[in-house]
Amino acid sequence: MKDLLRFFIRHHFVITFIILEAIALTILIDNNDYQKAKFVGFTHAITGNFAKRISSAKDYASLRQENRQLIDENNRLYNLLKSSYRIQTIEKLLQNDTTTNRQYVYLSAKVINNSTNKQYNYITLNKGKKDGLEKDMAVVCNEGIVGVVKEVSGNFSSVISLLNRNLQISAKIKSSGYFGPLEWTGKGYRKAILKDIPHHVVITKGDTVITSGYSAMFPEGYMIGIISDFKLKGGNYYEVSVDLSTDFRSLKNVQVIKNNFRQEQLKLEKSSSE
Amino acid sequence: MMIEALPKNIVRFILLVLVQVLILNNIRISGFMIPYVYVLFILLLPFETPGWLLLVVGFMLGMSIDLFMDTPGMHTFSTVFMAFLRPPVLKVIEPRDGYESGTYPRVAYYGFTWFLKYAAILIIVHHFVLFYIEIFRFGDFFLTFFRVILSSLITLLMIILSQFFVFRR
Repeated sequence: MKDLLRFFIRHHFVITFIILEAIALTILIDNNDYQKAKFVGFTHAITGNFAKRISSAKDYASLRQENRQLIDENNRLYNLLKSSYRIQTIEKLLQNDTTTNRQYVYLSAKVINNSTNKQYNYITLNKGKKDGLEKDMAVVCNEGIVGVVKEVSGNFSSVISLLNRNLQISAKIKSSGYFGPLEWTGKGYRKAILKDIPHHVVITKGDTVITSGYSAMFPEGYMIGIISDFKLKGGNYYEVSVDLSTDFRSLKNVQVIKNNFRQEQLKLEKSSSE
Repeated sequence: MMIEALPKNIVRFILLVLVQVLILNNIRISGFMIPYVYVLFILLLPFETPGWLLLVVGFMLGMSIDLFMDTPGMHTFSTVFMAFLRPPVLKVIEPRDGYESGTYPRVAYYGFTWFLKYAAILIIVHHFVLFYIEIFRFGDFFLTFFRVILSSLITLLMIILSQFFVFRR
């Protein structure tokens, strides 16, 4: 208290000055519309700026949660899509059971290991058997297809990347509907080749290549890439170069697609070919 | 000493305010320049005036001018600011022998050069604060600065003239 008093006495000149100027400034701002508007504008600019910074910092801090919610939401919507369900015949409708009609189920997963520089690349996901993943499920991301689940353990799964020369995927040209096997060239992480397109098919550079849905793994219509070039191979078939739409170098969140009717389809196909 | 000076200063205060608001405010040199000679009151206060009193007097003086000119706060702010700077300015331009008691800060006691420095610094400070408070932004900085310098010159001229014709001793 004594020190405080001494402080005031010692600095009474400056303190008086500050008090008087504060009074003058208050009078000034209260009574002059022009200065008032300027002052209010100034303080608002400062507080507004602060509020903006704080809110952007908050946004950033909650990004992880936000992402998680978006992925979940995305999955929920995918699960509602008509293409996830088997189109029903009238007789089937009588069964009134939605769970047996569902063909595709989407599960989200995160890439925890990935390579793009080998000839046989594999991707590891953070979900496994416990989360419902099984062998031969399709893996896609928002940009396009990623690969096929090869092995599952309890908590992880190993995915054959599309950038693996052992993987072939049934693909088709969206505009004409002609299909063929698509495989990686082994050169560059964005180049693949679509084979066996008959020579009479009209191909245009820039056409979209999508999954055909014939493999019983990928649902039909998933984006694979864009045609960059094509040439006749052996006279009868085109070999089409495709620019992959998926950027395997920046892969982060993926969706694993379960086809509920895969076993049934395979069994039928097998028995009919025997 | 202080008590003796009181009535004289009160009269001077009133006279300067009246001269300012009745005469000088109506002279607009080349349209927009008003000489603010009332600050002379702060300049003329005795050396012994305590700092707080200087500030309070500055506040009252500025307030009086504001009341007449209908510019609440502007002159108050700048005059208090000027009063605040008076002691340090006096210190900086102090003559080698210091200020003798019984003397006043006038040309007659400390010479023309000393007074010119003293008045010029404080007048420019006052006008600078006043003009920027009036425009309340630093945009058009140089235009405002030009006005500050011109007005300061005119005020300074009139204050120096007053030293030779009114406050001779």
